Amino acid sequence: MIKVSDLFKSVPVGEGILEILKGISFEIKSGESAAIVGVSGSGKSTLLGLLAGLDTATAGDVVIDGVSLAGLNEDKRAALRAEKVGFVFQNFQLLPALTALENVMLPLELSGAESPADKATEFLQKVGLADRLMHYPATLSGGEQQRVAIARAFAAEPMLLFADEPTGNLDGDTAEKIIELVFSLNTSAGTTLILVTHDQRLAARCQRRFAMENGHLSEVQ
Amino acid sequence: MRYRTGTLSPWLLLKRDWRGGELGILILASALAVTVVVGMSAFVASLQATLTDESKRFLAADRVVVSDSRPDDQWREQATGLGLASANTLAFPSMAVTATDIFQLVSVKAVETGYPLKGDLLISEAPYGPIERSGDVPPPGEIWLAPRLYSLLEVALGDSLWIGDAKLTITGTVRREPDATSGTYGYGPRVLMNLADIDATGVVQPGSRVSWRLLLSGNEGALDNFTQWLEPQLGQGQRLLGAEGDQPRVGRTLERAQGFLLIAGSLAVVLAASAIALAARRFAERHTDSVAIMKSLGAAQSAISQLYGTSLFLVGLIGSAIGCALGWLVGYFFLSLFGEELGVTQPALSLAPFVIGGVTALVCLGFFAWPPLARLSAIAPLRVLRSDIKIDSDHSRLDYVMGIAAVSVLMWWYSSDLALTLAVMAGLLIVVIAGMGFALLLLSGGRTIGSSVGSIWRFSLAGLQRRRRASALQMVIFAIAIMLMLVLVIIRGALVDQWQAQLPPGTPNHYVLNIAPEEQDALTAFFDQYQLARQPQFPMTRGRVMSVGGEALAEYGTESDAPRQREANFTYAWDLPEDNELVAGEWWSTDTENYEVSLEKEFAERLGATVGSTLVLRIGSEELEAAVTSIRQVDWQSLKPNFFVIVPPPVLAPFPKTFFTSFFLPEEQKSLLNDVVKAFPTMTIIELDIVVSEIRQIMSRVAQAIEVVLGVILLAGGLVLIAGVRASVDARVKESALLRAMGASKGLILGAITFEFSVLGALAGCMAIVGAEVAAWGLQTQVLDLRYVPTVWVWPVGILAGVVIIASLGLWSCRHVVSTPPVVVLREL
Repeated sequence: MIKVSDLFKSVPVGEGILEILKGISFEIKSGESAAIVGVSGSGKSTLLGLLAGLDTATAGDVVIDGVSLAGLNEDKRAALRAEKVGFVFQNFQLLPALTALENVMLPLELSGAESPADKATEFLQKVGLADRLMHYPATLSGGEQQRVAIARAFAAEPMLLFADEPTGNLDGDTAEKIIELVFSLNTSAGTTLILVTHDQRLAARCQRRFAMENGHLSEVQ
Repeated sequence: MRYRTGTLSPWLLLKRDWRGGELGILILASALAVTVVVGMSAFVASLQATLTDESKRFLAADRVVVSDSRPDDQWREQATGLGLASANTLAFPSMAVTATDIFQLVSVKAVETGYPLKGDLLISEAPYGPIERSGDVPPPGEIWLAPRLYSLLEVALGDSLWIGDAKLTITGTVRREPDATSGTYGYGPRVLMNLADIDATGVVQPGSRVSWRLLLSGNEGALDNFTQWLEPQLGQGQRLLGAEGDQPRVGRTLERAQGFLLIAGSLAVVLAASAIALAARRFAERHTDSVAIMKSLGAAQSAISQLYGTSLFLVGLIGSAIGCALGWLVGYFFLSLFGEELGVTQPALSLAPFVIGGVTALVCLGFFAWPPLARLSAIAPLRVLRSDIKIDSDHSRLDYVMGIAAVSVLMWWYSSDLALTLAVMAGLLIVVIAGMGFALLLLSGGRTIGSSVGSIWRFSLAGLQRRRRASALQMVIFAIAIMLMLVLVIIRGALVDQWQAQLPPGTPNHYVLNIAPEEQDALTAFFDQYQLARQPQFPMTRGRVMSVGGEALAEYGTESDAPRQREANFTYAWDLPEDNELVAGEWWSTDTENYEVSLEKEFAERLGATVGSTLVLRIGSEELEAAVTSIRQVDWQSLKPNFFVIVPPPVLAPFPKTFFTSFFLPEEQKSLLNDVVKAFPTMTIIELDIVVSEIRQIMSRVAQAIEVVLGVILLAGGLVLIAGVRASVDARVKESALLRAMGASKGLILGAITFEFSVLGALAGCMAIVGAEVAAWGLQTQVLDLRYVPTVWVWPVGILAGVVIIASLGLWSCRHVVSTPPVVVLREL
């Protein structure tokens, strides 16, 4: 499903160059769930950005469902994301000007799905927000906002779901419920899940675990 | 195109964003720019048409051939052949005599059917009876009189009156002629008779001092053809009026007003463009995260561009529609102000102003709003993971250059005046560049002061320091907005003051000529008896310039293109008269015994005389030689006595002279004129009251128009200030929310915000004062032809306005920092 080969990422810092990722390779099969753990600044988010095609690598390649990201320009990468990729972010990343329903409809419209409103409503019901469809993000609690984000991620039925510290901004109980929601939806949809977290409990729920340290990635057995 | 519906519909984007405030500013600013441009262009176009119409009305025709001999009949045949209407008039002074042998000098005008070709001849039957619009002229054998002639001559309707040998019956009263104020003024009250009776009078002989006018009207093409055909045939004493370049007396006043409106309109567009740029920038900043999210979810760059491009187009459309409607109203208002005064039917508003308005909106939004929005599509989607990734602003300098170029081209287009455009733009650029440097310097100074003062001040000054560049830019923007508003207030004051100074209440509206030296005291006593404001009496001697630099001039009336002898009223004076400006040479000293002469500029040009030329002057039968020692520019529009030729008093001492004065006669005392004429039958009175009241009425209308424009400018300036304050509100709100979360009191936060904006406002006010004075000087002296006087009252007002307006707007924009829990504020950001 996703294959990463010899991935490097470096950025200019002052007069020097900072190497964030130093030759990362791994492969995740369709339907698998994987957690990437590491301390702050270890390069987890940089790797996630490259895997999702949000950024370009200095060297190496990421292949999603047989499509090499290295050969795609930004618009083609965007089209690939619209078709195959979903996101759940630590800070939810909902559009403040859109209602819960419209936020969920957005990726459906971008991928050209039919009846986006019906589908968005269905997924908001699934995450328990049937009575919050017309609410704007600012009027929702953190847990509710993350549930909207989860509904948005799954509604487009992506083959690949990236989650960046999905419980990082939530309290313990709410985080627990969100974890349950993500995994249950993931199981029913058969989506490939790549999760970046420093929460070992969350990582333990995944089938595979990778540790990120000093720009290198190693699988933890 | 599928994104034009659903959550990515531009309409929904606009609807949802309305709360943010920037859209309101964008729409208002573009509407304002369009309003100003549509209103101004409609008005200026109509004003030009009106000026032309007005000049035609004063001529009573589209073109007039003035001649001191009867115009060639062939000219009328040619005009008729070209489809032009024509009519001859003949004017001359003559003595009217009644059956009871009462004599009175009158201004005779003999007209023929068709007169006037433009404007209306108003008549009544009884002297002061109801006015009947007349489409006719006195039939042969009849004569119409000016109202006051009835009492002067002690006649009534139906009585007979002799003009020369012709006996004519009085059948009507002339109340108003369209061309009463054009060209020469009448000597004595008007009588109107039929041209067919002229031969019978026997008063017009070869060599008589008469003024023939061939009036012509018709379409412009035929008139131009006629002009081209006629001009080579015009001889001495003949000239054509009404072609381009001839302006009525009020022309210069209206031209100044038009110049002011063009400058004001252009500045309003600059202000609106600035407000648009600021609002669009903040709009884009607020949308950065949303675009990153959309892109992370798969939106292509083109979709983002399309979304924001269409939204901006809609903003432009709404703004233009509102602007066109308001502009039409402004134009209509201006026209209604002037339509009645100038007595012309105003042309309908044409499409052109709306096209200019639309192009203005397009340029303002395209060059000022679109660049930051266009860059939105280039935002890296990675921003969803790393909020430190900023929008690419490498091209913003190019945007500024393009924006300035675009506004310059627009201004040039509106004004068709490259010098004016370059002057205004150069002034603005200097203010921006010098202002940025000055602002950065001031803010550096603030750090030193800030370290030694209380917490509110320290926090405020630290805030300004932290956003040093942004604060400096904001300060410059505030300064420019305040500056432009001050400039217009100053210039408007100068324009109105100057007009009022030109024609203050009590401006003399009657001239008295031919006052004999022994009548001087009696006339003064008469004025004092009736408490009439009088002016000094100027000595006057009729003389003729015979030769210039030893070259004898051709005789008056001869066919020659070379300078010819000129007859004029000479006066003497020790001092340079008020309203006269020396343009060459030097004024004589008060003890000179030299034979010197000072000439009016155009008079000198027509004679071919310059400083140093020796003139031979003939006064009566004597000739004397005098050297030209100065050339003067005379303001003929001041309506004060002015002379072509002035000499030192000893030069005219041996010659007989009469005196000349002017006085103000209120409308309600008009009948007193008859008493003056009866008491001083040898004096000649010229009535200028119609001209004075017309000019004054037009000036008051212009002042009203300027008030409206000023209001629009203040609104545009206010928008810039609001947009400027809002540009930094997010950062301030966030900082304040953090401080509140850490326990800072509301008082401290509000105090710090107030102080920070007050400092910005005060510094901007200081910069604005300097800029405004410099700009006002440039515009008044170089563009509007006005005198510059420093406007001291503006200095404290500028600073106070800066502090009060900016602090109020700042506080208002940040008000919810203290009224909303910090957590909500922080969550919204």
